[in-house]
Amino acid sequence: MAVERASGGSSLIDVLDRVLDKGIVIDAWVRVSLVGIDLITVEARVVVASIDTYLKYSEAVGQSVPVARPALESRPYAELAAENQALSAEIVTSKARRPRHASVQGYKLL
Amino acid sequence: MAKKIKVTPKAASKAPAKERRVIPRPPAPKATARIVRDKRETRIEDAPGSATDTPRGKYVYCVIQSADTLKFGAAGIGDNTSEIHTIHYRDLAAVVSDVPLGILDSTRENVLAHERVNEIVMRDHTVIPMSFGTIFKTKDDIVQLLRSAYDAFGDVLAKMRDKMEFGLKVLWDRDSVVKDIEDEDEGIHRLKNEIALQKGSTYFARMQYGRAIDAALQARSERYGTEILDRLRDVAVASRINKPIGDKMIMNAAFLVSRDQEGAFDSRVKSIAAEHDKLTFKYTGPWPPYNFVNIRLKLERV
Repeated sequence: MAVERASGGSSLIDVLDRVLDKGIVIDAWVRVSLVGIDLITVEARVVVASIDTYLKYSEAVGQSVPVARPALESRPYAELAAENQALSAEIVTSKARRPRHASVQGYKLL
Repeated sequence: MAKKIKVTPKAASKAPAKERRVIPRPPAPKATARIVRDKRETRIEDAPGSATDTPRGKYVYCVIQSADTLKFGAAGIGDNTSEIHTIHYRDLAAVVSDVPLGILDSTRENVLAHERVNEIVMRDHTVIPMSFGTIFKTKDDIVQLLRSAYDAFGDVLAKMRDKMEFGLKVLWDRDSVVKDIEDEDEGIHRLKNEIALQKGSTYFARMQYGRAIDAALQARSERYGTEILDRLRDVAVASRINKPIGDKMIMNAAFLVSRDQEGAFDSRVKSIAAEHDKLTFKYTGPWPPYNFVNIRLKLERV
């Protein structure tokens, strides 16, 4: 199928997909209080909470970092997979343990 | 990469008040005159200083690197004819225009105006786009913003220099893919025949069939995704995979591409599209690097 490139501003969906929550974002509650209330003034202090630029190709390609994960929490996929496995194993063992534990209490569990 | 910047509040906090251009109440004659000049289209001229004066704020489109004052015409956001101009701190500049102070609705017109201005600025500058709807009360607030996040903005601008974002969405016709799978996958083919021939309840077989189809669709869409990403790997600096929208979309990606690789990326996308006649490609750009810049600012009251 042949494809042509459309310029950025030509599709509202594509624009909305970007401009609403990407780029430089000011905290929502502050944005609301921008109206009338003396919040954003020179007395206000600006704190950069987190910056990540997704520049490492290896990080982005192939292991699809979820969209909304905060930068500070992003961990390599291998690490997450390992943790996932460990947790699954724990579920299995705790399931296996449960009847024994329950019988000590004098209950019968199915 | 994460950075934390703390900024000491300005010592003489009351001092710059007299420099502010937006004044909440109709006050000194000079300020009123300015507001009137900005709002040519309203009737305020007849009654200078009347209670209908709307305080004006500054809408920020993006941050660029420039020590020179720049103007970008009057195609800004809102109903006004105010010129798009820059506010500076050292070599950084915020691209802004004057708007009535208030919450801006994300209407089609407003959102497209935001994007349009970014695209105009992008022609000659590397931009860090601001997300939609950010209005500051005064020029000083913006200077403060630039000063506080100076290092961060500088860092990101350097990384984005001479790079552009492109969007690539890939869609398929789900029904026809299901048909293909039924023809090609022997197990699924057999299941389908069983359901067709079976008397009595086919509930279980249908469940099994549904699960098998879902798994096959998933596998196929992942295979396409991996293949397309692999083909674009050497012509892009970075990529980001977003969540597909709707059940026809199998890939929703953004790519960061060097200016000098634009042609190569472009022809690669076109040749990939030409090879897949069953997929629909939606290819857009250049965009400001929205998907590759994620700066969250928190304003705190001191």
